Amino acid sequence: MDKDGAVYSVELENVTKIFDESTVAMKNVSLKVKKGEFFSILGPSGCGKTTTLRIIGGFETPNEGTVRIDGRRVNNLPPNRRPVNMVFQNYALFPHLSVFENIAFPLRLKKMTESEIREKVEYMVELVKLKGQERKFPRQLSGGQKQRVALARALVNEPRVLLLDEPLSSLDAKLRQYMLMELDRIHDEVGITFIYVTHDQAEAMSVSDEIAVMNNGVIEQVGTPPEIYESPANTFVAGFIGETNFFVGKVVDVSSEYLKVETRFGILTCYKDKEAKIGDTVEFMIRPEKVYVTKNYPPQNMNFLRGKVDQLIYLGSHTKYYIMVENTLIRSIKQHTRYWMDESTISWDDEVYVWWNPDDSYLIKVTGG
Amino acid sequence: MKRHDIYTLPILIWLSLFFTIPLSITVIMSFMSSTPYGGVTLPFTVGNYVEIMKGRILAILWRTIRISALSTLITLGLSLPVSFFMATSKWKNLLLMATIIPFWTNFIIRIFAWIFLLGNNGMLNNILIQLGIVKNPITFLYNSWAVVVVIVYTYLPYMILPIYSAMEKFDFSMIDAAMDLGATKIRAIFKVMFPSIKGGITAGILFVFIPALGSYAIPELVGGRDSVMLGNLIAWEITTARNWPYATALSNILFVSTALALFLYLKIQGSDGK
Amino acid sequence: MTVIVLIFLYAPIMFLVIFSFNSSVTGANWMGFTLKWYGELFLRSPDIWEGFKNSLIVAVFSSLTATFIGTMAAIGIHWYKPSFRRYINFNIYAPLIIPDILMGVSMLMLFVSMRIRLSLFTIYLAHTTFSLSYVVLVVLARLENFDSSLLEAAMDLGASEFQTVRRVIIPMALPGIIASFLLSFTLSIDDFIITFFVAGPGSTTLPLRIFSMIRFGLSPVVNALSTILVGGAILLTLLGRKFLKYILAGEG
Ligand SMILES: Nc1ncnc2c1ncn2[C@@H]1O[C@H](COP(=O)(O)OP(=O)(O)OP(=O)(O)O)[C@@H](O)[C@H]1O
Ligand SMILES: [Mg+2]
Repeated sequence: MDKDGAVYSVELENVTKIFDESTVAMKNVSLKVKKGEFFSILGPSGCGKTTTLRIIGGFETPNEGTVRIDGRRVNNLPPNRRPVNMVFQNYALFPHLSVFENIAFPLRLKKMTESEIREKVEYMVELVKLKGQERKFPRQLSGGQKQRVALARALVNEPRVLLLDEPLSSLDAKLRQYMLMELDRIHDEVGITFIYVTHDQAEAMSVSDEIAVMNNGVIEQVGTPPEIYESPANTFVAGFIGETNFFVGKVVDVSSEYLKVETRFGILTCYKDKEAKIGDTVEFMIRPEKVYVTKNYPPQNMNFLRGKVDQLIYLGSHTKYYIMVENTLIRSIKQHTRYWMDESTISWDDEVYVWWNPDDSYLIKVTGG
Repeated sequence: MKRHDIYTLPILIWLSLFFTIPLSITVIMSFMSSTPYGGVTLPFTVGNYVEIMKGRILAILWRTIRISALSTLITLGLSLPVSFFMATSKWKNLLLMATIIPFWTNFIIRIFAWIFLLGNNGMLNNILIQLGIVKNPITFLYNSWAVVVVIVYTYLPYMILPIYSAMEKFDFSMIDAAMDLGATKIRAIFKVMFPSIKGGITAGILFVFIPALGSYAIPELVGGRDSVMLGNLIAWEITTARNWPYATALSNILFVSTALALFLYLKIQGSDGK
Repeated sequence: MTVIVLIFLYAPIMFLVIFSFNSSVTGANWMGFTLKWYGELFLRSPDIWEGFKNSLIVAVFSSLTATFIGTMAAIGIHWYKPSFRRYINFNIYAPLIIPDILMGVSMLMLFVSMRIRLSLFTIYLAHTTFSLSYVVLVVLARLENFDSSLLEAAMDLGASEFQTVRRVIIPMALPGIIASFLLSFTLSIDDFIITFFVAGPGSTTLPLRIFSMIRFGLSPVVNALSTILVGGAILLTLLGRKFLKYILAGEG
């Protein structure tokens, strides 16, 4: 913990940002980001992620609410006086300065001595693995290299928080994966708070300590990646993070652990994650990787449906099945394990059983009936 | 006012003081009367305009427009093929520089070159006399044609440069594509290229036609009695007659003609764009 | 076609240059090689030199002023959404599309009604005014390549607004700024018609001087002067080659 005793690196309290009558980019957003965390803000395009980041960076002023950095209210501090630095979506490297001078830019502003500057820049060049590129100009660099310069330049000032706005979006898939791991490594090495904006759930899941899911200017849920995946707060989060199968129905029976729900597929059992009584309308989901597709009759106490294979996509490490049940597609994903090889093969238009363990479902929402 | 308006404040003040206000003064003054001592006096009157319309101004105005339009057309006719050639040439940078050099050569010198060439004591007459073809020098200059030729000469780069710029950005493989689809070369050029260089052509026409309307030096130096243009009249009223109200009224007529030409042109251009 | 046009563009100038080395007084009759007109020009033409000096003074100061004010304006227009945007735009574009003679007349009317004596200073004011529009357009053409994230990045990294201008904006815009200076300088040196109206006694510039000389007929000294000016134009074209694309971008 810091000398000032604050636990949180960045806090937003009921922040609202209105651009004009029709665009409310942030509605009553509250967030608490712990020190040293890798924190992601995840959401679809236009949901207000960039705006949130720009509010923290000081490029926008909130209409309402408080922004705190290390416990200090910074609402009225301009960007150049906030202890945060930003990696811009398009990198925003200065075209007239070399890699070295780009990284040295903030140091020169502080009027450091030449030897101090050299030392710090060299450390950064080392950190982001840009050795030998120092004299090049931005236009001579590849996308990944520009990314590294932007990162080094933002880190050289030793900010308390690093803000990253979709930094990988203009890189190709492979490089993106690699740079993500690099970011993770650099985060571990410098030990400061990273706030990372992305619309790619896989990116967010793989590196974050915590994720805030945003939609339409509102924070829908904050949690660790497993929490968000396994226990989404609502259908938006459930649908946005990974693929899923949704069911809606009326509760017809309640036991200590399970609910029996009357759905359009018949009566299904689901785990009682939330309290519910007979007559309530509930929404629950089951993730595709927990759904099995077999020709054989399923084991006891499983939820099961009968359907026809509508589509089957072989993806090497796993296969995706889309099974048509009562005019609805049920998704299933099967990892290719040794046991899978032993089963009788399933192909297009086969009649199959689709089944899952009621314990694997998750009850998203209960509406009193 | 916002804090960042500080950047535009100097230009705002400067151009208000030295552009908007002078234009306004010109308008106001044209509605006043002149005093015998070269001053101006109230009350406001439309007398200057009435006076102008009674005189030979209409003929001069018409001639000014005719000469300018003709020069512009000739310039355009020369510039289109030249720009096309330049844009498709291997030597485009060299050719570009070749058109820039006369563009950056002094304007009056460029007029002088024609006087030297075609004047009564000029080179051509000297040669003709020496060869015994003529006895007395031929008056090539001092007529409307001379004015047109020299306008074309001096303003040619103003037409070539914008058209060239537009053509240079044009992707010439599109012409091949159109020909591949069965268009003849000429048709392909017109159909495919014209829409994308229209902006350059518009700019070129305005860059030539508008200064031509305001010509003074060219008709003054190489024109004759039959080629007095509006600019000459304005200059005469100012330098010799010193009648400000009358001169400003003439200027305003030129101003309105220019605005009208601009408006008409943009309208025509806008309507066939659809 | 192109060749014909090039001949049309160059032949008149070429003859001027060739005949500046002609020893005949009447000018257009070849009588043998001489440099005496250059001697005349350099040693015995104080009026021309006076005009040249005046032109140079006006060109230097007016293009410096216009480049400074115009660059500031371009920065404001490009990044800061200034108030009175429409009025500013009108003031920038209108001078480009009205005939120069109108600008000359209206400036003269300003000076006579404010009782400002015509002098080099009034020429300076007029030249700065017409150069401003070009400077703004040329610098804007350069700034078009840069979005606001560069300014935000500078601020984010600790630069004050002044430091951002000095260390980021000016260096980035530099090719455009130099191009606009060269353009203003040339426009000023070249201008005849506006200067014609706002020049007073004793403030004759070079184009005005040449104008009055050729009104009285041909003079081999003018040929010699032309040769030097054409040389200047070639030099300027070569020098300005790097910046040409910004000049064209601003004009087109
Ligand atoms: N400067 C602005 N002026 C007006 N509206 C704006 C401005 N900036 C953003 N908006 C609007 O605010 C909303 C949120 O924008 P924001 O840039 O924060 O979205 P985002 O989540 O970052 O989207 P993306 O993933 O596409 O980058 C959008 O509707 C956007 O149009
Ligand atoms: Mg964004």
